[in-house]
Amino acid sequence: MNKELLRIEGLKTYFDTWAGIVKAVDGVDIEVIEGETLGLVGESGSGKSVTALSIMRIVPSPGKIIEGKIIYKEENLLEKSEKALREIRGKEIAYIFQDPSTSLNPVLTIADQLLEVILAHQEISKKEALEKAIELLKLVEIPDPDVKIWNYPHQLSGGMKQRIAIARAIASQPNLLLADEPTTNLDVTIQAQILELMQNLRKRLGMAMILITHDMGVVADIADRITVLYAGRVCESADTKTIFYKAKHPYTQALLTAVPSLALRTDKLKVIPGNIPNLIEPPSGCRFHPRCEYAIEKCTEKIPELIEIEPGHKVACFRALEINLESPLGGAKNN
Amino acid sequence: MTRYIIRRLLYLIPLFLGILIIVFAATRVAGDPVRLMTAMNPHITEEARNNLTAYYGLDKPLWHQFLIYLANLLKGDLGNSYVIRGGIEVTSLIGDYIWPTMLLQIVSIILALLIAIPVGVISARRKYSKTDVTVTTTSLLGTCIPIFYMGIIVILIFAYYLGWFPAGGYVTVISESKDYFLGSRTLDIIWHMVLPVAVLTFALLAPIVLLIRSSMLEVLKQDYVLAARANGLNDRKVVYKHALRNALIPVVTYVGIYFGAMLAGAPITETVFNWPGVGRLFVQATNRLDFPVIMGITVIITLMTLIANLITDLTYGYIDPRIRVE
Repeated sequence: MNKELLRIEGLKTYFDTWAGIVKAVDGVDIEVIEGETLGLVGESGSGKSVTALSIMRIVPSPGKIIEGKIIYKEENLLEKSEKALREIRGKEIAYIFQDPSTSLNPVLTIADQLLEVILAHQEISKKEALEKAIELLKLVEIPDPDVKIWNYPHQLSGGMKQRIAIARAIASQPNLLLADEPTTNLDVTIQAQILELMQNLRKRLGMAMILITHDMGVVADIADRITVLYAGRVCESADTKTIFYKAKHPYTQALLTAVPSLALRTDKLKVIPGNIPNLIEPPSGCRFHPRCEYAIEKCTEKIPELIEIEPGHKVACFRALEINLESPLGGAKNN
Repeated sequence: MTRYIIRRLLYLIPLFLGILIIVFAATRVAGDPVRLMTAMNPHITEEARNNLTAYYGLDKPLWHQFLIYLANLLKGDLGNSYVIRGGIEVTSLIGDYIWPTMLLQIVSIILALLIAIPVGVISARRKYSKTDVTVTTTSLLGTCIPIFYMGIIVILIFAYYLGWFPAGGYVTVISESKDYFLGSRTLDIIWHMVLPVAVLTFALLAPIVLLIRSSMLEVLKQDYVLAARANGLNDRKVVYKHALRNALIPVVTYVGIYFGAMLAGAPITETVFNWPGVGRLFVQATNRLDFPVIMGITVIITLMTLIANLITDLTYGYIDPRIRVE
């Protein structure tokens, strides 16, 4: 039996801004099993990053976690003190940011930034920490680690910087890695290398990972399961194969159709009509209904619950079972 | 690195010359010092005036006067004052006045930084809180109230009504050492310093607090600060190690420029508190069209500013490795 590592229940994180309260995350349920990779997918502004930041409780002001539970190893992180959380941040759960050129401090050397993290969580001497830091750089495949460690971030390329950020994240062998679009700001050729490195490290160190992305191609490659977010709520959650071939939510399907693919050989790329809704006053009922071609009266009135329609496959759509969605990849592989 | 410094120093030469020419020209069009000197003497003859003008070398064409000045400057001779202490050498005059100025300035700027950095940081971290609003309002007042006004109010309250501190001067003018404050000259100087230092510190403090606050607010939003928190570092490390070092970069510029201009003294503060410094000397020299003194102080200020700018640029590299010169 796979053991549950993290469970988020009804998480709501709001931002109190001048314009009004932005409901960035509005009732999200997610679970992560030990050692798995969960793909957290959605458009920009769907609440992926805010969910991840909420897990570590480092949502920047004016963001606030309003309600919900974040159960990590059977303890609710939302009830822990700042001090207890510091023991979890970086040690149990680590975060990899999107852009390594902003997530590494420009005025500190690599050694400085790795050592402080190692020393914050491990009772070892500075000398041992330095050896460990060099070891970490080897692990993330940085050439000449004993030279590079004395460099400043600006002296390294984007791909190298992201490797350093990964090294920093895995310094204390966390159980859960939150990777927030870790390859979005990198060259296409480097992207694949970094993803492969992360996947290898994850397997080697037995970590679970939440991979946040809007790139369906990336999750198809490395995620075990996928959770799709839309406007701060979960639409659908299932294993990767099910999402790609038997998606039940119209939004998931639309997302798949919008991926340019050589396999599908369509001339025209399909777009999802409309934009992600205003999160200060989100649409009534199902938040996707204004853009959904299957919407009925009920969708505009009630918010659909996330229901398990078959083991491990949850959907938040009233019509999930009646409409018969055809996977855009359907013809390619049938089983 | 050495080549960079040498190159920068060479650049300073034309800049220095340019500034000299401008100030030289500006003083000469300000008026005729001989007329000013003799204005109160009804018996002066035109001939005597011409003799005086010739004595000071003011009868020669402007370019000639400038070349003479430049030649003397290269020999380290800044000329003699027209009016002060029977024509004292400008170098020794400035030598006398520079120490009180340095004392006042250095104490004030250090105090201002010591107070401004923590206050600015706290203010930024508690944005829009009562503390923050109090700090920003006070700082805005500090930047708005003119120093001469604040100086006079402070003298009125603490010297005139309460009588706690002297209203002005550098040290008690006395015949016996027991007349000094608590019998010690050092303590007496410190006692005299309290009010001018307080006023100058407050005036310096205000813009630095606002600068640190806004710079901190910008930096606290950066990913690397969030990343530092995500790595489980404590607040002190996040704020003072990760954020503050980045936030201090604009402050270094500000303080660097200020340090350069420091020797100009704080003309207003020094005048209000009758402080025997270069700033007050400059005001006096200007009022009396004492060209050699005006020029002499300008030369010193210019040199200091240019050197301070160079040092600031080098300090940058220390704080921000991205602009370090290899």
